[in-house]
Amino acid sequence: MTTSEQAPAGGEPGQLVEMSWDPITRIIGNLGIYTKIDFANRRVAECHSTSSLFRGYSVFMKGKDPRDAGFITSRICGICGDNHTTCSVYAQNMAYGIKNPPLAEWILNLGEAAEYMFDHTIFQDNLVFVDFCEAMVKDTNPSVLRRARDTEAPNAEVHGYRTIADIMEAFNPFEGAVYKEALQVSRTTREMFCLMEGRHVHPSTVYPGGVGTMPSPTVFTDYLSRLMGIVDFIKKSVAMNDDVFDFFYEALPGYEEVGRRRVMLGCWGAFQDPAVVDYKYETMNRWGKAMYVTPGIVVDGELLTTNLVDINLGIRILLGSSYYDDWVNEDPFVTHDPLGNPVDMRHPWNQTTLPVPQKRDFDDKYSWVMSPRWLRPETGEHLALDTGGGAFARLYTTALANMVDTPFVKSTGSSVQISLPKGRDLPETTLEWRIPQWSNALERNRARAYFVAYAAAMAVHFVEQALGLVRAGDTKVFEDFEVPDEAIGCGFHEAVRGVLSHHMVIRDGKIANYHPYPPTPWNGSPRDSFGTPGPYEDAVQDMPIFEENGADDFRGVDIMRAVRSFDPCLPCGVHMYLGGGRTLQKLHSPMFGATHG
Amino acid sequence: MAQIRVGKPDVAPDTPSHTKGVDQGNRKGAYDHEPGHHEDGTADSRRSTGIRPKERDPILPIMPNLPPG
Repeated sequence: MTTSEQAPAGGEPGQLVEMSWDPITRIIGNLGIYTKIDFANRRVAECHSTSSLFRGYSVFMKGKDPRDAGFITSRICGICGDNHTTCSVYAQNMAYGIKNPPLAEWILNLGEAAEYMFDHTIFQDNLVFVDFCEAMVKDTNPSVLRRARDTEAPNAEVHGYRTIADIMEAFNPFEGAVYKEALQVSRTTREMFCLMEGRHVHPSTVYPGGVGTMPSPTVFTDYLSRLMGIVDFIKKSVAMNDDVFDFFYEALPGYEEVGRRRVMLGCWGAFQDPAVVDYKYETMNRWGKAMYVTPGIVVDGELLTTNLVDINLGIRILLGSSYYDDWVNEDPFVTHDPLGNPVDMRHPWNQTTLPVPQKRDFDDKYSWVMSPRWLRPETGEHLALDTGGGAFARLYTTALANMVDTPFVKSTGSSVQISLPKGRDLPETTLEWRIPQWSNALERNRARAYFVAYAAAMAVHFVEQALGLVRAGDTKVFEDFEVPDEAIGCGFHEAVRGVLSHHMVIRDGKIANYHPYPPTPWNGSPRDSFGTPGPYEDAVQDMPIFEENGADDFRGVDIMRAVRSFDPCLPCGVHMYLGGGRTLQKLHSPMFGATHG
Repeated sequence: MAQIRVGKPDVAPDTPSHTKGVDQGNRKGAYDHEPGHHEDGTADSRRSTGIRPKERDPILPIMPNLPPG
């Protein structure tokens, strides 16, 4: 429906048009974006992000055997389930007081590196780039496409496409050369994953205490030969991403405002260093800093902490706009952490999920997603951290922390240098991701291409380390353990699209409380009890619109680029809804919601 | 659980996944009982076969012992 309301203060009064995308396509799950657009001023006046999906893992995990946690939580996601298994293994190792043998840790790192390469590639080249391909740009910004046809691509000698429009054509879905090659690459990277973790995407050989992968030399050489087959694709991919995104800044001045929000990033770290990690809570600060992707929290370009204990204790799960009852009157599970620090009632260790289904009301409760926030101790602010789609925050914290130093990846304090070996066509190449000026849609997308390179370069390092152990005859990959009657554990990892934590409490040898916090609750959270909007809402609200189409044939491509840059994942159909109840296209609508009545 | 109406569960949520009496692969001491696995993390061909395993070990001590599976 087209409503006439006052535009936000400061702008000229304009006619606000409600526009909604529910569910958003080319992502996983039921994310809806409800906006009010001021077409006169070409701005988004208001935005709400909502999920109509309740999962209930924290409810039905109670009472289960803790050893099953990795296998059950893997089913949270059909694309990054292994990240959950891995994170659960980290949490369980802490609870059981064990650590994986070194070779098992390298195998796990290699599997996760393959997952990052797979998932980022398929999302970037087959899903995100549909928004930047020739067919889409022709439809939404024909003048930009005309300009792209006349703009030489600066990195043409690397990727072989003469103009920016040639690159955009190569990304046309189902037809473009890069689109099709990316599908092949995602197959290869999945094979690499399966070599290490047995099965994609729910690993069959990853357990607490190690892995069941048979560490024969050929497992690693098979992995390496596949990796060498795709390194040139990765180098070209980075070059194409740089060319297209730099062109967008040039062709559409002000495009840096699309999806822009304050730099407030969280990264929980990935790739353990087996020489340092012992999974003890007491030493978590030390082994967290040794991870090959440094954990950290960045606000306004400043690194607040890299200490996983601080990160853990600052997590708060707020309600406010979510369909749940508060749990403050329930008994706490963990009052103090193993170091003696008090643990807040709103911390995941103490959370009890009390679902209350109800009608969606944007003035009150409108989402199944809760509002995870991080309490900044100095200021008392509850920060709505985002993950920048994962890759952005990982590169940002790693660059600033200046702790990662391997032969293939080096952090410099302001950038990350990534060296990729010689491939079939292209020579050895060193790429450098520099901290950008903004946290916006284009930079989140650009970081994704660079992180594929990061994971590939790290994988070369991991293979070398693993083969070093195998050559010495050390093939131990599992450790035995007993399940304690009472224990607590937490795991910190990076799912492909950002921060991932698992918090577990064991009582009587069974799970008493289990809370996985994947990245999308952080990114897709609704307004919290303080009224702070979640990152999607924040990034889209007050965003300028560059699309040349008017209200009648509006595609919302700028809004979609902003939301998709976060790599949303709310475990689709195609359904675009314009105010007034006119459904443009409806192939499948798998969910309930206010607009579907 | 919240104040919402739910169905009667078919099994108790804490029904153990482990059946009493069945060997647990993770139990303490399990690694020591695995044939061919040594305490220092190395292995010998007994890990892969019980048929004349010594004949399948490497011919020189300097070689790593990498039984096939």
